[in-house]
Amino acid sequence: MKNKLLMLMMIVALGLIVQAQVTYERLLKAPVAEPQNWLTVSGGYNGQRFSPLQQINTGNVQELAPQWILQTGVMGKFEATPLVVDGVMYVTAQEDTAFAVDARTGRPIWKYVRAVPEDVQPCCGHVNRGFAMLGDRLFLATLDAHVVALDSRTGNVIWDTEAADYRQGYTFTVAPLAVKDKIIVGVSGGEYGVRGFIDAYDAGTGKRAWRFYTVPHPGEPGFDTWKGDGWKRGGAPAWITGSYDPELNLVYWATGNPSPSNYGGDRAGDNLYSNSVLALDADTGKLKWYFQFTPHDLHDWDATEVPVLLNAMLDGKPRKLLVHANRNGFFYVLDRSNGKFLFAKAFAQQTWAKGIRPDGRPELLSGSDPTAEGAKVCPGAIGATNFMSPSYSPQTGLFYVNVREQCDIFTTAPQVFHAGRAFLGSAYSMDADEKDWGALRAIEPTTGEIKWEFKHHSAPWAGTLATAGGLVFAGDIEGNLIAFDAHTGKALWHFETGSALYASPMTYSLNGRQYVAIASGQALVSFALPQRMFSKKESGR
Amino acid sequence: MASYVSKRSTLLSTIRLLTAVIVLTGAVLGQTDAGRSAATEPKNPLAGNLQAIQEGRSQFRFNCSMCHGVEAQGTQKAPSLTTGRWAHGGSDGELFRTIQHGVPGTLMPAQESILTETETWQVISYLRSLQKPATLAGDAARGRGVFIGDGNCLSCHMVNGHGGRLGPDLSRVGAERSAAYLAESIRQPSAHLAEGITEPNKDLAQKYQTVEVITAEGKRIVGVALSEDTFSLQMMGMDQQLHLFVKSEVREVVHKPRSLMPPYPPEMLSDRALQDLVAYLAGLRGQQ
Repeated sequence: MKNKLLMLMMIVALGLIVQAQVTYERLLKAPVAEPQNWLTVSGGYNGQRFSPLQQINTGNVQELAPQWILQTGVMGKFEATPLVVDGVMYVTAQEDTAFAVDARTGRPIWKYVRAVPEDVQPCCGHVNRGFAMLGDRLFLATLDAHVVALDSRTGNVIWDTEAADYRQGYTFTVAPLAVKDKIIVGVSGGEYGVRGFIDAYDAGTGKRAWRFYTVPHPGEPGFDTWKGDGWKRGGAPAWITGSYDPELNLVYWATGNPSPSNYGGDRAGDNLYSNSVLALDADTGKLKWYFQFTPHDLHDWDATEVPVLLNAMLDGKPRKLLVHANRNGFFYVLDRSNGKFLFAKAFAQQTWAKGIRPDGRPELLSGSDPTAEGAKVCPGAIGATNFMSPSYSPQTGLFYVNVREQCDIFTTAPQVFHAGRAFLGSAYSMDADEKDWGALRAIEPTTGEIKWEFKHHSAPWAGTLATAGGLVFAGDIEGNLIAFDAHTGKALWHFETGSALYASPMTYSLNGRQYVAIASGQALVSFALPQRMFSKKESGR
Repeated sequence: MASYVSKRSTLLSTIRLLTAVIVLTGAVLGQTDAGRSAATEPKNPLAGNLQAIQEGRSQFRFNCSMCHGVEAQGTQKAPSLTTGRWAHGGSDGELFRTIQHGVPGTLMPAQESILTETETWQVISYLRSLQKPATLAGDAARGRGVFIGDGNCLSCHMVNGHGGRLGPDLSRVGAERSAAYLAESIRQPSAHLAEGITEPNKDLAQKYQTVEVITAEGKRIVGVALSEDTFSLQMMGMDQQLHLFVKSEVREVVHKPRSLMPPYPPEMLSDRALQDLVAYLAGLRGQQ
C-alpha cells in the first residue's frame, strides 16, 4: 500500500496532471497570473488579447516553426480561438465539432460531434468561434441555437439548453463568456429578421438566468426609435463575445445590424439597440448604459467587434476606457463607467460621414444611402474591420487592428419578410475599378493617431495577438501568419498556413516552451521555437 | 453579417421543397423524349407576373448577383443571363432545374436550400423580362478568319485546346458573354478587368491585370499575376512561362490597371471585321 502510494506520487511528479478547475478567481487574474494558459476567447476579461509571455521575441521570432497540426476534418471557415488550460487545448471547429488536444503534441484526447440539423441557417458559414470554461466544464453555443455544457475530461454532455428556435433564423456562432457562475452568449440571425438577445445561463444547471432583448417592444425604452412595424423583425444580433469589468460588474456586449441590413424604408428612426455597445449588469442583465455607433444603419455595419477595455490618462485624467474599432471605419473611445463618448477618429478610408459629432452621432454625407441604381460607399458591407480580434499591448500602449480597405456598390432590393428566410433588402458588389487591400494598423488609443501600418496585399479576415515579446501576430487572407515588431510594424517572420485565415492567433506555454497557435482551413497549427534553442535544464522544467 | 451571398450553405432544402423538386424531376424524367409534350413540361406559373418579376429581381440580387452581376450582365465568375442563349437549356423546366440543382462541373451551385419553388419561378420571371437577344449582323466564318489570321488572337487565347495561355480560354465564350460585352472587350480590353472580385472569391484573382517585375539584376518581366500575396508573386510572363518570385528578392513589382491585351480600335479592326469576329465568338459553345 505504501509502495503503491509512493508510485502514484512519482507518477504525479513525472507526468502532467491536468488541474482543469477554472475558477472565477482564475478568470479574474487571467492572463497576468498564469500566462501559460489562455482561459477566455480573448485571453482575459478586458478583451486585450495580450500575453505576458516573452520567450518568443523580436530577436528570435525568425526561428518560429510549426510543431504540430491538428486536422479537424470539417470543412468551412475555421474561426475559433482555442483555450489552453493546464496543458490541454480545447477548440471548437465548424459544424460545432470540438476537440480536447494535448497542447504539446497535438494528439486528440476526445472529440465532440453534434448532429446539427440540416436546415439551420447561419448567414455566413457553419462556424463556431470557441469555448468558455468554468470549473471543469466547457461551454459552447451551437448553430441550432442551443447552449451546451461539456465535461472537460470526457467531452460528454452535461446539459443542453435550447435558447431559441433555429427554424426562425436564430443561431449561435459566438464563443460564450463565463462570468462568476454564469455563461453569457449573444445570438446571431441579423440576416433573418430575428429579435436579437444576450442571454446568461446558470453554469451548474443550464437554466436561463437573464435575457436582454436588443430590440425593444412596445412600452419599453427605445421602442420609439422604430417607426412602422420594422421592430417586429428588427435584428440587432450579438454574435461576438463581449468584455467584462469586474470592478464595475458590467459586461460590455456589442450588437449588429438592424434587419433588413440594407433597406430602411420600414424602420425609420435610430433602431435601438442595433449597432451599439451595451453595458449590462453581470448579475441581472439590466442595461446600465448604451452607445450606438451607427444609428439607422443601411450598410450592414454590425458593431460586433470586440470591445477592448483599458485604463489610460486622457485630458490629464485617469480614465477607464472602452475602445472600439468599428466596422463603419471609425475608432471610438468611450468612458466605460458611464458610456460617455470621448472621441472618434477614422482608421480607414470612409466616405459616409463628415465626422463624428461631440455627442457621438455621425455627421452624415449625402449620397451614401443604397439606391436602386447603386451607390458607392466606403467601407463596404464587410466593413473596415469585422469579427477579427484586435489587440492592445500595455507594453507599447498601442492598439492593433487588421483593417480592410474595400468599397462596395450598395443597391436596394426591397423584400417581403418570411420568418426563417434570409432578409437583407439589398445586394452589394465590389467596385469594379478597385482592388481590395488591407493593413495592420497600430493606433494610439488616447488620440486615435495611427502610429504605423503594414500593408496587406488583400483585405484580411484574421485577427491579431500582442505579446510581451515585443510582437504582434496577425493573419492575412492569403494564408500567412505574420509576426511584426510591435513598436515599428516591421514584418519579422511569416508562414504560409495553406488556407485563408479567418481566426485570431493565441499563445500559451508548456514545459518551458511558448507556443503560438492559429486555426487555418481544417487545421489548427501550433508554432514554437526549435527545441535546440533551449538547454535541457530549461526544457525539463 | 459578413457576406451572405457567397457563403451560403449547401445544405439540403426543407422537405417541402425537396418534395416539390422530386415531383418535378420525376415529371421530367418520367417522360421519354418522344412522349414529352408541351403539356407535361413544367411551365412557370408566374410567367409575366409583374409582382413576381419584382420579387424575382430582389431574390436575384441577393442570391445570384455576386456571380452573375447586379443586372445579370455576367462577371468573370459567371455568364450573362441577358443574351437569350441558355447554356443548359432555356425552357422553364430546364431553367428551374439549373437553378435548383446547379450545374455539375461548373461554379453554379444548387439553390434548393436557398430558393423555394415559388422564389425560383419568380427569378425565372425576372430573367425572362431581361432578355435582349442580339441580332448578329456579322459573318462567323469571316470572323474565324480574323481570329486565326490578322487578329492574331490565338497567340494569347485558346479555343478548344489550340492557342495561347496568356488570356482567357474562349472555348465557351459565346455561351457566357453578350455580343455587346464581346465587342467592348475587343475595342477596350481594360474595361472589365476587376469585376466580380471580392473576397472570398479569391480563387478568381485579377488575372488579366498587367504586372511587371524588375529583378535584382535589372531584368524586366511583364505578364499576368496568377497568384500573389504580400510576400510572393506567381505570374505568367509574355513568354507564356511561369515565373515565381519572392518579393524581397526583386527590385520592384509594379501593377498596371490595364489588360495586357492591346485594344483593337477601328483603324486596326473595321466595324465590319469586329461584327464578324463577334459573330464567330458568339458561336463558341465549347466542344460539342
